[in-house]
Amino acid sequence: MEWVIFGILSLWLILSVLGVLFLKNPVHVVLSFLSVVLATAGIFLHLGAELLAGLQLIIYAVAIVVFYVLVVTTIPWEKVKRFEGIYLREFLLAVPFFLLLVVALSYLAWSGSFATKGFPLSGDNVRDVGKVLFTSYLFPFELASVILLIAMVGAILLGRKED
Amino acid sequence: MTIEKAYMLISIFLFLSGLLGVIIRKNLITLLVSTELMLNGVNLGFVAMDRMVGGVEGQVFSLFVLAVAASEVAVGLGLVVSIFRLKGYEGSSEITHLRD
Repeated sequence: MEWVIFGILSLWLILSVLGVLFLKNPVHVVLSFLSVVLATAGIFLHLGAELLAGLQLIIYAVAIVVFYVLVVTTIPWEKVKRFEGIYLREFLLAVPFFLLLVVALSYLAWSGSFATKGFPLSGDNVRDVGKVLFTSYLFPFELASVILLIAMVGAILLGRKED
Repeated sequence: MTIEKAYMLISIFLFLSGLLGVIIRKNLITLLVSTELMLNGVNLGFVAMDRMVGGVEGQVFSLFVLAVAASEVAVGLGLVVSIFRLKGYEGSSEITHLRD
Protein backbone atom coordinates (compact mmCIF):
# COMPACT_ATOMS: atom_id res chain seq x y z
CA MET A 1 0.00 0.00 0.00
CA GLU A 2 2.85 2.34 0.86
CA TRP A 3 4.47 1.66 -2.50
CA VAL A 4 1.23 2.36 -4.35
CA ILE A 5 1.04 5.81 -2.75
CA PHE A 6 4.73 6.33 -3.53
CA GLY A 7 4.17 5.38 -7.17
CA ILE A 8 1.20 7.69 -7.65
CA LEU A 9 2.83 10.68 -5.95
CA SER A 10 6.22 10.30 -7.63
CA LEU A 11 4.68 9.81 -11.08
CA TRP A 12 2.60 12.95 -10.56
CA LEU A 13 5.69 14.83 -9.38
CA ILE A 14 7.88 13.72 -12.30
CA LEU A 15 5.23 14.61 -14.89
CA SER A 16 4.80 18.06 -13.35
CA VAL A 17 8.58 18.59 -13.27
CA LEU A 18 8.79 17.76 -16.96
CA GLY A 19 6.02 20.29 -17.53
CA VAL A 20 8.00 22.95 -15.65
CA LEU A 21 11.10 22.20 -17.72
CA PHE A 22 9.64 21.99 -21.21
CA LEU A 23 6.37 23.95 -21.53
CA LYS A 24 6.55 27.14 -23.56
CA ASN A 25 4.07 29.51 -22.00
CA PRO A 26 5.13 30.99 -18.62
CA VAL A 27 1.59 30.73 -17.26
CA HIS A 28 1.60 26.99 -17.99
CA VAL A 29 4.99 26.74 -16.29
CA VAL A 30 3.64 28.41 -13.17
CA LEU A 31 0.63 26.08 -13.15
CA SER A 32 2.93 23.05 -13.48
CA PHE A 33 4.92 24.42 -10.57
CA LEU A 34 1.70 24.60 -8.57
CA SER A 35 1.18 20.91 -9.40
CA VAL A 36 4.74 20.18 -8.21
CA VAL A 37 3.98 21.94 -4.93
CA LEU A 38 0.79 19.95 -4.40
CA ALA A 39 2.59 16.66 -5.11
CA THR A 40 5.36 17.61 -2.69
CA ALA A 41 2.79 18.41 -0.01
CA GLY A 42 1.31 14.95 -0.54
CA ILE A 43 4.75 13.39 -0.18
CA PHE A 44 5.29 15.30 3.06
CA LEU A 45 2.00 13.95 4.38
CA HIS A 46 3.07 10.47 3.37
CA LEU A 47 6.37 10.87 5.18
CA GLY A 48 4.60 12.02 8.35
CA ALA A 49 5.51 15.71 8.29
CA GLU A 50 2.05 17.20 8.67
CA LEU A 51 3.15 20.67 9.76
CA LEU A 52 5.47 21.02 6.81
CA ALA A 53 2.78 19.83 4.39
CA GLY A 54 0.41 22.51 5.66
CA LEU A 55 3.07 25.19 5.49
CA GLN A 56 3.98 24.06 1.99
CA LEU A 57 0.36 24.54 0.96
CA ILE A 58 0.05 27.93 2.68
CA ILE A 59 3.39 29.46 1.71
CA TYR A 60 4.14 27.92 -1.69
CA ALA A 61 0.75 27.15 -3.19
CA VAL A 62 -0.88 30.34 -1.99
CA ALA A 63 1.72 33.05 -1.49
CA ILE A 64 4.53 32.29 -3.94
CA VAL A 65 2.45 31.01 -6.86
CA VAL A 66 0.08 33.97 -6.58
CA PHE A 67 3.10 36.27 -6.60
CA TYR A 68 4.36 34.64 -9.80
CA VAL A 69 0.95 34.98 -11.45
CA LEU A 70 0.79 38.67 -10.46
CA VAL A 71 4.19 39.34 -12.04
CA VAL A 72 3.23 37.40 -15.18
CA THR A 73 0.15 39.59 -15.55
CA THR A 74 2.16 42.83 -15.24
CA ILE A 75 4.48 42.01 -18.16
CA PRO A 76 3.09 42.43 -21.70
CA TRP A 77 3.82 39.03 -23.22
CA GLU A 78 3.18 39.89 -26.85
CA LYS A 79 6.41 41.88 -26.87
CA VAL A 80 8.59 39.11 -25.52
CA LYS A 81 7.54 36.17 -27.65
CA ARG A 82 11.20 35.68 -28.62
CA PHE A 83 12.05 34.39 -25.20
CA GLU A 84 9.89 31.34 -24.77
CA GLY A 85 10.95 27.75 -24.42
CA ILE A 86 14.50 26.50 -23.99
CA TYR A 87 17.94 27.04 -25.47
CA LEU A 88 18.37 23.98 -27.67
CA ARG A 89 22.19 23.90 -27.81
CA GLU A 90 22.56 24.33 -24.07
CA PHE A 91 19.95 21.63 -23.56
CA LEU A 92 21.87 19.15 -25.70
CA LEU A 93 25.10 20.01 -23.90
CA ALA A 94 23.59 19.82 -20.41
CA VAL A 95 21.59 16.60 -20.71
CA PRO A 96 24.61 14.19 -20.54
CA PHE A 97 25.86 15.89 -17.39
CA PHE A 98 22.34 15.80 -15.95
CA LEU A 99 22.01 12.07 -16.58
CA LEU A 100 25.51 11.40 -15.25
CA LEU A 101 24.79 13.33 -12.04
CA VAL A 102 21.44 11.59 -11.58
CA VAL A 103 23.03 8.16 -11.98
CA ALA A 104 26.01 8.93 -9.75
CA LEU A 105 24.04 10.50 -6.89
CA SER A 106 21.34 7.84 -7.11
CA TYR A 107 24.03 5.17 -6.90
CA LEU A 108 25.38 6.84 -3.78
CA ALA A 109 21.95 7.03 -2.17
CA TRP A 110 21.08 3.50 -3.29
CA SER A 111 24.17 1.67 -2.08
CA GLY A 112 25.18 3.77 0.91
CA SER A 113 24.20 2.94 4.45
CA PHE A 114 22.38 5.58 6.42
CA ALA A 115 22.11 6.25 10.12
CA THR A 116 19.56 4.19 11.98
CA LYS A 117 16.68 5.26 14.13
CA GLY A 118 17.51 7.80 16.79
CA PHE A 119 15.28 8.74 19.70
CA PRO A 120 11.59 7.88 19.66
CA LEU A 121 9.21 10.71 18.84
CA SER A 122 5.95 11.43 20.56
CA GLY A 123 3.91 10.78 17.44
CA ASP A 124 2.54 14.32 17.30
CA ASN A 125 4.50 15.95 14.51
CA VAL A 126 3.39 19.54 15.16
CA ARG A 127 4.27 19.28 18.85
CA ASP A 128 7.72 17.82 18.12
CA VAL A 129 8.63 20.40 15.48
CA GLY A 130 7.36 23.27 17.61
CA LYS A 131 9.30 22.09 20.64
CA VAL A 132 12.56 21.82 18.73
CA LEU A 133 11.93 25.06 16.82
CA PHE A 134 11.28 27.18 19.90
CA THR A 135 14.01 25.73 22.12
CA SER A 136 17.09 24.64 20.17
CA TYR A 137 16.55 26.78 17.08
CA LEU A 138 15.05 29.93 18.56
CA PHE A 139 17.82 32.25 17.38
CA PRO A 140 17.74 31.05 13.73
CA PHE A 141 13.96 31.44 13.86
CA GLU A 142 14.32 35.09 14.85
CA LEU A 143 16.97 35.53 12.15
CA ALA A 144 14.49 34.18 9.58
CA SER A 145 12.03 36.90 10.57
CA VAL A 146 14.74 39.54 10.08
CA ILE A 147 15.54 38.05 6.64
CA LEU A 148 11.87 38.29 5.66
CA LEU A 149 11.71 41.92 6.83
CA ILE A 150 14.81 42.85 4.83
CA ALA A 151 13.44 41.06 1.75
CA MET A 152 10.19 43.01 2.10
CA VAL A 153 12.06 46.33 2.27
CA GLY A 154 14.19 45.32 -0.72
CA ALA A 155 11.18 44.29 -2.79
CA ILE A 156 9.44 47.61 -2.05
CA LEU A 157 12.59 49.54 -3.03
CA LEU A 158 13.00 47.55 -6.25
CA GLY A 159 9.36 47.79 -7.24
CA ARG A 160 8.70 51.51 -6.82
CA LYS A 161 8.49 53.89 -9.73
CA GLU A 162 11.48 56.12 -10.41
CA ASP A 163 10.46 59.75 -10.22
CA MET B 1 15.18 -0.57 -0.46
CA THR B 2 13.03 1.31 1.97
CA ILE B 3 10.56 4.01 1.09
CA GLU B 4 12.85 6.72 2.45
CA LYS B 5 15.60 5.73 0.04
CA ALA B 6 13.13 5.84 -2.84
CA TYR B 7 12.11 9.34 -1.80
CA MET B 8 15.79 10.30 -1.65
CA LEU B 9 16.09 9.28 -5.31
CA ILE B 10 13.05 11.44 -6.16
CA SER B 11 14.60 14.34 -4.28
CA ILE B 12 17.87 13.99 -6.22
CA PHE B 13 15.92 14.01 -9.47
CA LEU B 14 13.95 17.10 -8.40
CA PHE B 15 17.07 19.06 -7.43
CA LEU B 16 18.94 18.20 -10.62
CA SER B 17 15.89 19.04 -12.74
CA GLY B 18 15.88 22.48 -11.16
CA LEU B 19 19.57 22.84 -12.04
CA LEU B 20 18.87 21.77 -15.63
CA GLY B 21 16.00 24.24 -15.81
CA VAL B 22 18.25 27.09 -14.63
CA ILE B 23 20.67 26.20 -17.42
CA ILE B 24 18.26 25.74 -20.30
CA ARG B 25 15.26 28.04 -19.80
CA LYS B 26 15.16 31.29 -21.78
CA ASN B 27 12.70 33.32 -19.79
CA LEU B 28 13.68 34.96 -16.51
CA ILE B 29 10.48 34.04 -14.69
CA THR B 30 10.72 30.37 -15.63
CA LEU B 31 14.35 30.48 -14.50
CA LEU B 32 13.17 31.62 -11.06
CA VAL B 33 10.59 28.81 -11.02
CA SER B 34 13.44 26.37 -11.65
CA THR B 35 15.29 27.64 -8.57
CA GLU B 36 12.12 26.96 -6.61
CA LEU B 37 12.28 23.39 -7.90
CA MET B 38 15.78 23.08 -6.48
CA LEU B 39 14.61 24.34 -3.08
CA ASN B 40 11.71 21.86 -3.13
CA GLY B 41 14.10 19.02 -3.85
CA VAL B 42 16.25 19.93 -0.88
CA ASN B 43 13.16 20.09 1.34
CA LEU B 44 12.09 16.65 0.19
CA GLY B 45 15.53 15.22 0.97
CA PHE B 46 15.49 16.78 4.42
CA VAL B 47 12.12 15.28 5.28
CA ALA B 48 13.01 11.84 3.91
CA MET B 49 16.25 11.72 5.89
CA ASP B 50 14.34 12.93 8.91
CA ARG B 51 12.02 9.98 8.82
CA MET B 52 14.98 7.63 8.30
CA VAL B 53 17.06 8.97 11.17
CA GLY B 54 14.17 9.71 13.50
CA GLY B 55 14.14 13.36 14.49
CA VAL B 56 12.58 16.64 13.54
CA GLU B 57 15.65 18.79 12.88
CA GLY B 58 15.34 18.31 9.12
CA GLN B 59 11.81 19.66 9.18
CA VAL B 60 13.01 22.70 11.13
CA PHE B 61 15.64 23.34 8.46
CA SER B 62 12.96 22.92 5.81
CA LEU B 63 11.01 25.67 7.55
CA PHE B 64 14.01 27.95 7.21
CA VAL B 65 14.33 26.97 3.57
CA LEU B 66 10.68 27.99 3.10
CA ALA B 67 11.38 31.41 4.65
CA VAL B 68 14.41 31.89 2.40
CA ALA B 69 12.35 30.81 -0.63
CA ALA B 70 9.68 33.40 0.15
CA SER B 71 12.22 36.22 0.49
CA GLU B 72 14.10 35.03 -2.60
CA VAL B 73 10.97 35.11 -4.72
CA ALA B 74 10.09 38.61 -3.50
CA VAL B 75 13.51 40.06 -4.32
CA GLY B 76 13.96 38.04 -7.51
CA LEU B 77 10.61 38.98 -9.01
CA GLY B 78 11.20 42.61 -8.05
CA LEU B 79 14.48 42.44 -9.95
CA VAL B 80 12.79 40.84 -12.98
CA VAL B 81 10.09 43.50 -13.08
CA SER B 82 12.55 46.38 -12.73
CA ILE B 83 14.90 44.91 -15.36
CA PHE B 84 11.98 44.63 -17.74
CA ARG B 85 10.76 48.15 -17.00
CA LEU B 86 14.16 49.84 -17.28
CA LYS B 87 15.69 47.86 -20.14
CA GLY B 88 12.92 45.87 -21.78
CA TYR B 89 14.89 42.65 -21.29
CA GLU B 90 13.06 39.44 -20.65
CA GLY B 91 15.54 36.75 -21.69
CA SER B 92 18.54 35.55 -19.73
CA SER B 93 20.84 35.89 -22.76
CA GLU B 94 20.14 39.62 -23.12
CA ILE B 95 21.58 40.61 -19.76
CA THR B 96 25.26 40.91 -20.58
CA HIS B 97 26.16 44.21 -18.91
CA LEU B 98 26.62 44.80 -15.22
CA ARG B 99 26.07 48.52 -15.67
CA ASP B 100 24.76 50.63 -18.50
